[in-house]
Amino acid sequence: MLKGNGVSKGIGIGHTQVLKDEEVKLTDFKVEDRENEFKFFKKCLNEVIEDTKKVTEKLSGTEADIMNAYLMILQDPTLTSETERLIKEDGYNAGYATKVGFENVEEVFKNMDDEYMSARASDIQDMKQKVLNKIMNKEELDLSNLPENTILVGKDLSTSDTAKLNLKSIAGLIIENGSENSHVSIMARTHEIPAIVGAKGATKKLNNDEFIAMNGSTGEVFERPSEDELDSLTKIQKSLDEEKGNLSKYIKRKSITKDGYKTEVVANIGSPKDMDAVIANGAEGVGLFRSEFLYMDSDSMPTEEQQFKAYKEVLERAEGKRVIVRTLDIGGDKDLKYMHLDKEDNPFLGYRAIRICLREPEIFKVQLRALLRASVYGKLAIMLPMISSIDEIREAKKIIEEVKEELKSKKIKFDKNVKVGIMIEIPSAAIMAEELAKECDFFSIGTNDLIQYTVAVERGNEKISDLYTKFHPAVIRLVKMAIDGAHKSKIFCGMCGEAAADERYIPILVGLGLDEFSMNPTKMLSARKMIRSLSHKECKKIAHEVLRMNSAKEIKAKMTEYVKELKEGNENKFAKDKELKEQN
Amino acid sequence: MLSKTITLENETGLHARPATELAKIAMKYPCDIKLIANGKTVNAKSPLMIMSAGIKQKTDVEIQCDGEQEEEAMKEIEEAFKNNFGE
Repeated sequence: MLKGNGVSKGIGIGHTQVLKDEEVKLTDFKVEDRENEFKFFKKCLNEVIEDTKKVTEKLSGTEADIMNAYLMILQDPTLTSETERLIKEDGYNAGYATKVGFENVEEVFKNMDDEYMSARASDIQDMKQKVLNKIMNKEELDLSNLPENTILVGKDLSTSDTAKLNLKSIAGLIIENGSENSHVSIMARTHEIPAIVGAKGATKKLNNDEFIAMNGSTGEVFERPSEDELDSLTKIQKSLDEEKGNLSKYIKRKSITKDGYKTEVVANIGSPKDMDAVIANGAEGVGLFRSEFLYMDSDSMPTEEQQFKAYKEVLERAEGKRVIVRTLDIGGDKDLKYMHLDKEDNPFLGYRAIRICLREPEIFKVQLRALLRASVYGKLAIMLPMISSIDEIREAKKIIEEVKEELKSKKIKFDKNVKVGIMIEIPSAAIMAEELAKECDFFSIGTNDLIQYTVAVERGNEKISDLYTKFHPAVIRLVKMAIDGAHKSKIFCGMCGEAAADERYIPILVGLGLDEFSMNPTKMLSARKMIRSLSHKECKKIAHEVLRMNSAKEIKAKMTEYVKELKEGNENKFAKDKELKEQN
Repeated sequence: MLSKTITLENETGLHARPATELAKIAMKYPCDIKLIANGKTVNAKSPLMIMSAGIKQKTDVEIQCDGEQEEEAMKEIEEAFKNNFGE
C-alpha cells in the first residue's frame, strides 16, 4: 500500500491527475532521413508558435507586450539555428537536437550578470519544454482547469504551480517529496485540502484517472478502494465535519480564559489569497504575514508596486485589525535563485533575513517603501526577523526612518504610528529580551528556529527529530525570558511558531502571560476553544511547576496528561449538565 | 556602410520588449544591420542576439548598416533609440 506523511487532515476521494516527471529521457540516436526529421521539427515548432499566438491574441496591456516579445524570440532563427544544424548536418533526432540546441541558448542567458537577463533563461527553458512536448506528442496540463474532485499526484508542486491551481477542484494532494513545513503542506492546511507528502513512488504507482481515496491525517492512499473502505473513510470525514461545525461557534467569540484573562488568536499567512481562510476562521488579526512568497513566486526582485498591492490587499481585507508583516526572511533553507546567494556550509547560521537586508539596504528599502505606502489602508506593524543584537534593531530602525523622510519629502502619505517589532528566534535575543524590548514595540517568538538554535538540532533531520522539541526546559525558560522582557517595557509578546497552536503547550503559554497566539488559520478555532476552557490562575501554577522540571520527556508527559484530564473534565461536566437538565 | 554610435538611455536597458522592437525595425530593411556594444557584435535582426549582448542604460552602442536602404534603416533605428523604444 502506498503511504506517506499526512500533513493536512481530511479525506480525499476522486480521480487522479498524475504530473509525470517532465525530464524526458532523450537519447542521442541518429536518424536516416534527416530531411524528414527536420520537417518534423519545423512542424512542432510552428505548432508551438501558433498556440502561443492564440494565447497572445486574448491578452492586452503589459501581459500582451510580454507575450509578444516571447513570441518574437520563439520565431527568432538564432534560437533554433543550433538545433537545425544538429539535425541537418549531424543527423540527430529532433528531440535530442532540441534539448541540446535550446540548452546552448539557455546557457548564454544563465551566465549573464544581469538578474533580469539570467531570468530569461527560464523563458528559453519553457520554450524548449513546449517544443519537446510536441515532439513527444504530450499535451500540456492546464492546472487552472482540472475536473472536479481531482486528486493531484506529483513529485513536487512548485509555488508557481500552486498559484495556478483552481483549489475548488482539488480533492487532495499526494506529493513524493516535501515535509510537514514545505510550501505545499502549509498551502494545503490553509485551504483545508487533504494532503500527503513523502509518498515515495506515487507518480510511478498511480496512473492517470484512477479512482482512489486518501486520508490526510494518516497518510494512507487507497487504490481501488472497497465499499467498506469508502464507508469508513466517509465516516471519518463526517466526524471531521462535525468537529468543524462544533468549532464554528467560536468564530465570533473572544480568546479569553474562564477567569477573564485576555489573549488574541491571530493568523499566519503566506499570501493575500489566504485572507479567505483568515476571515472564515474568525482571526483577531494577522500575526505573521510571511512576505517571502512575493519574492519566491517571481523570477526577479518584486517591484515596489507589486509588493504595495499585496500589502494593501491584506490590510484592506483585515478591516482595521492589526497585520504584522515580517520583512524579507530569505536564506537558510529558502533560496532565491536570482539573488545568487553563495552556497554556505551552515546556511541557518549564515547570510539570511535581516542580515541580508542591513547589508543590502536597497533591497530592504523597496520593501519598506511598499509597506509604509500601504500602511494608510489599515493597521500595519513591521516585524524584523533573525534579530540577534540590539545594534541590528537600531540599524533597521534608522533605515526605516530614512524611508519615512524620503516619503515625507515626496509628500506621500503613510501611517506615522506603524509599530516596529522583532522576532525572538535566536537564543541571544531571548536572553537579552529585557534590553531589546526598550527598542521596539512588540515581540513575536518564532519557536521553529528558537528550538533549532537552542538545542542545536536541525528541524529537517529525521534521525535526530526526537531531540527537536518545544518541551525542552531550556526552550520554555527562553520563552519566559522573552515574555517577561516584553512586559517589563509594557509591550506585547506573541508567538508565531507551530507551538502556539499545540493544545499541550497553550496552558504553559497562558500561564507565562503570552498576549498573542499566531497560527495557521485552520488551527485558530480549536486553539481559541482551548484558551476559553482554561483558567489563568491554574495555568500560572502549571507554568510554575513546569519551570521547575528538568526533562523534556517529563514535561511533555505532564502536559499530555493535563489536556486529557481537562477534556474528560469538560465531558463529565457536560454529562452532568445534561443529567441535571433531564431531571428538571 | 554607415556607422553611428548612440548612447542607450532606456532605463531598463535592451530588455525583451525594446530588443524585439529594435529587431522588428531592423527586419524591415534588406541591408545587414549590426550592433556593437560591450565588445560584442550582434545581428540586430535577432531579438535573442540583441538581448544576449546585455546592453544596459548609458552604454555606447555602435550601429552599422550595410547594403540596400542603409540610410533609411539608420534613420529609423536612431529615432527608436531617441524615443527610448516608446518606454
